[in-house]
Amino acid sequence: MRRRASRDNHLITKVNVVPIIDVSLVLVTILLVTAPMLSIADLPVDLPKAHTREAEDQRNVSITRAIDGEVAVDRERVPRERLVETLRAALARPGNAGVLVVIRADAGVPYGEIRSLLGDARAAGARRLAVATRQNMGANP
Amino acid sequence: MRGRQRRSIGELIHEVNMTPLIDVSLVLVVILFVATPLAFQSSIALSTAASGSRAAAKAASPDRVEIELISEGTVRVDHEVVPRQDLDRTLRPKLDQSASHLVVVRCADGVSHGTFVNVIDRARALGAFRIAVVGH
Repeated sequence: MRRRASRDNHLITKVNVVPIIDVSLVLVTILLVTAPMLSIADLPVDLPKAHTREAEDQRNVSITRAIDGEVAVDRERVPRERLVETLRAALARPGNAGVLVVIRADAGVPYGEIRSLLGDARAAGARRLAVATRQNMGANP
Repeated sequence: MRGRQRRSIGELIHEVNMTPLIDVSLVLVVILFVATPLAFQSSIALSTAASGSRAAAKAASPDRVEIELISEGTVRVDHEVVPRQDLDRTLRPKLDQSASHLVVVRCADGVSHGTFVNVIDRARALGAFRIAVVGH
């Protein structure tokens, strides 16, 4: 009888680690998937919509151009006049030789500015260029 | 809790532990909210000016299609000026005849980037294999 009572009052001393392992594995997976997407600046940019999409490189260098004129290379905001040297430095980093350079510009930016950005990207040594778009699931306009 | 303590030792626990499932689901919902705008980002490749102009020079005149955006609503396809909404009708037969499916695009400085992307997107949707932008 005394033995039965002591077994009933026995404390559970093991911590249940299953939930924390579950959450951690999900977080690791999500971080692996979204890591390439997190290398872009947080400038407010309304990307132009497009229906077609191409195979994208996991690795790219982005130039972001907001409607108010702010410019960023990857996550770093730079003055417009320092764009070429910043981009050249980014392209010179190990593993970035021949990397795709993506222009992320607001749909309202005049094309003259895009042309200037494309020219600056080429001057900085970019060999592969692309313009970023937002996937449009709707019907063709 | 007291009820659980009173449960006899041989009794089976028939409640499913929902806590891990709810934890994982909530984390997934939050991550999806954050990542959705990024996941729908894509891009359209442009030939650089040098390679584009080389390719343009190589291609015979009837083999490439030239598009020039004159204004927001007007484009010139080869030498034919058409409203932008009629671009598909004009461009489709020209691309069908083209072996290289190369499209050379020029754009006026005042035209918005959104309109420029819309035109190259439609060209790609109609079968343009490569887009070369000239003038930069």
